[in-house]
Amino acid sequence: MLAGTLSLLLSVLPARSARAETADKPDRYELLAQGTRLVQDGNLDAALALFREIPPPAPGQDAGAFVRARMEAAKILFSRQEYDESAGMCKDILAKLPDNLEAKNLLAQVQAAQTPEWLRFLKDMKTYLPTLLKASGMTLLLVLITMVISPICGLFIALGRISRLKALSAFFWCFIWMFRGTPLLLQLFFIYYGLPQMGVTLKPFTAAIIGLGLNYSAYLAEIMRGAIESIDAGQMEAAKAIGMTYWQAMRRIIIPQTYKRLVPPVGNEFIALIKDTALVSTIAMVELMRAADQIFNATFNIFILVQAAIIYLVLTSIFTVSFRKIEDRLGVYENR
Amino acid sequence: MIELQGVVKHFGSLKAVDDVDLNIEKGERIVIIGPSGSGKTTLLRMINFLEKMDDGKILLDGTEVGYRRDKKGRLVLEKPEIISALRSEIGMVFQHFHLFPHMTALQNVMEGPITVKRESREKAREVALDLLGKVGLMDKKDAFPAFLSGGQKQRVAIARALAMRPRLMLFDEPTSALDPELVGEVFSTIKNLASEGMTMVIVTHQMGFAREMADRVIFMDNGKFIFEGQPGDLFSSHMENPRVKTFLKKVL
Ligand SMILES: Nc1ncnc2c1ncn2[C@@H]1O[C@H](COP(=O)(O)OP(=O)(O)OP(=O)(O)O)[C@@H](O)[C@H]1O
Ligand SMILES: [Mg+2]
Repeated sequence: MLAGTLSLLLSVLPARSARAETADKPDRYELLAQGTRLVQDGNLDAALALFREIPPPAPGQDAGAFVRARMEAAKILFSRQEYDESAGMCKDILAKLPDNLEAKNLLAQVQAAQTPEWLRFLKDMKTYLPTLLKASGMTLLLVLITMVISPICGLFIALGRISRLKALSAFFWCFIWMFRGTPLLLQLFFIYYGLPQMGVTLKPFTAAIIGLGLNYSAYLAEIMRGAIESIDAGQMEAAKAIGMTYWQAMRRIIIPQTYKRLVPPVGNEFIALIKDTALVSTIAMVELMRAADQIFNATFNIFILVQAAIIYLVLTSIFTVSFRKIEDRLGVYENR
Repeated sequence: MIELQGVVKHFGSLKAVDDVDLNIEKGERIVIIGPSGSGKTTLLRMINFLEKMDDGKILLDGTEVGYRRDKKGRLVLEKPEIISALRSEIGMVFQHFHLFPHMTALQNVMEGPITVKRESREKAREVALDLLGKVGLMDKKDAFPAFLSGGQKQRVAIARALAMRPRLMLFDEPTSALDPELVGEVFSTIKNLASEGMTMVIVTHQMGFAREMADRVIFMDNGKFIFEGQPGDLFSSHMENPRVKTFLKKVL
C-alpha cells in the first residue's frame, strides 16, 4: 500500500518536471522558491535535488533563477565538503556570468579547501620565511653582544672571586650565587618590569642585553675561576721566579693556558644562550621565538614552529662546529 | 753577596727551617744535601721570597731586603713590585721544570726579558737564541715543551732563568725528575755554568754535584745545618756524624 503510493509519487514527479520544462519560464522561479523554502526547513537533500533539476537557460534567456539555484547548491555542496561538484556549480555560473563575484569567491574557497593541508603549510613557510629570518637577525645580535660582554665581565668577576681581598671575593660570590640561583626569566622580568618601579625605565633591547649579560657573566665567571684554579700552581711560581708580578703572571702565563680548557664549557654556555634568547620574547622583544609565536597564532600552522626550530638548529650547529675547530686550533702546543 | 741570618719557617707546629745562617759569597757554589723533609726546598724558596720567612733577616750586599715589620713587630713581605724586582735577580730551577706549556722553547726564554725587563723583542730573541745554543737546544727552539724530553725541558728552564741575567742561581733537585740516562746532559749544563763563575746553590741527592763542583757542602736535617764543609770532608772517613753517615750510605 505504502510502496504503491511511493512508486506512484516517483512516477508523477518527473512527469511534473517534464511538464514544467515544456511550460513557461516562471516555473524556474517556482522551483527556486520551493528549494529555498526546503533549505529554510532544513531539508537540504530535497532542496539540492530541486536545484540540480533547474536546467540552464538557452542563450539570451533570463539566467537569474538558474544562477541562484546553482549558487545555493554550490554552497550546500561546499558545506558537505563535496568540493568537486561544488566547483562544477560555480563554473556553471561563471560560464553564464563570468564576473559573478559570489561564484568567484566560492570557487576560490573551494580550491583552497581542495589543496592538501601540507601544501598550504609549505606555502605559508615560504611566505613567512623572510619575517622569521629577520627576527633571527635580532636573536643573533642578542647572542653576539652577550658573547662579547659576558666573557669580559666574567673574567673580572672570576679574578675578584679568587682575590685575597675577602670583601671583593664575598661580593662576587654573592653576585654569582644570585644570578645562577634564580631563573633568567625572573631576572629579565625584574629588570624590565621591576626597575621602572624604582625609577629606571629601560628599552626592551637594553633590558634584554643587561639581563642576558649579567646572567651569562655569572656562569662564565664560575667556569673561568675553575679553569684558572686548574692550572698547576708551579706555573705561577715559575712566573714569579723570573720576576713577574701576580698580574703579569696572570695575563701572560695563567690566563692564556685556560683558553683551550675554556672552549668546551664556554661553547656549551653560548649554545644554551642561543636558546635562552627566546626568553626575552616575554619582555616585548621581537626575536625569532616571538615572531614564530605571532605567525603561529595567526595561521595555526605548526610548520612555522618547525621552521623556527630549524633556524635555531642551524645556529646551534654552526656554533658547535666552530667551537670544536677553535678548540683544536688552541691545542697546538699539546702533545697528543 | 746574599746572607741569611737566623732564618725560621714554621708550618703549623712543624719547624721546617730552624734558625739557619747562610752566607753565599759571589762565585760560590754551594750544594745542600739531606734527607727528605729536612727543609731544603723551603730554604731555597725563602732565598727567592717564594716562601715568607717567620723570623730572621735576608741581606743583599749587606742591606736587609724584602721584609719590614708591622705594628705588632711581625715580619711582612715588602710590596709585590719590590719582591718581584728582587726575584728577577735570582734565578730558580725547579724539580718539575714548570716550563710555560703554551710557549715554544724560545718564547719561554724570551718571556722574562720582554715582560719583566721590558727589553725589545729583537734583543730578547738574540739573548734567548744565544742561551739556547749554550744549553745545546738550538734545534729545539720552536718546539713546545710537550714535545721535549725531560732533560731538554730542564735545559730550557735553565736558559729561561739565565735570560734574566741573575746574580744567583738556585737549583732545587734539578735532576730528580729525570730518567737516569738524561741526568748527564743537565748535569753537564750546570757544570758549564759553574765553570763560568755563576754563583749557585744546588739542592740535590746527586753526590756527583757535591764532589765535582761544590765549594761548600751543607747537610741539612730537621731544618738545621748539621754539617757544613768542603766536599772532601763530607766523603772522608773521618766523618763522625751518624745521621750524615747513614744518609751517605743510602745515597752512594
Ligand atoms: N706548604 C707547606 N705546608 C705545610 N708543610 C709544608 C709545606 N711545605 C713544606 N712543608 C713541610 O716542611 C718540611 C720541609 O719540607 P721541604 O719541602 O723543605 O723538604 P725537602 O728537604 O725539600 O724534602 P725533599 O727532599 O723531599 O724535597 C716537610 O716536613 C714538609 O712536609
Ligand atoms: Mg725538596
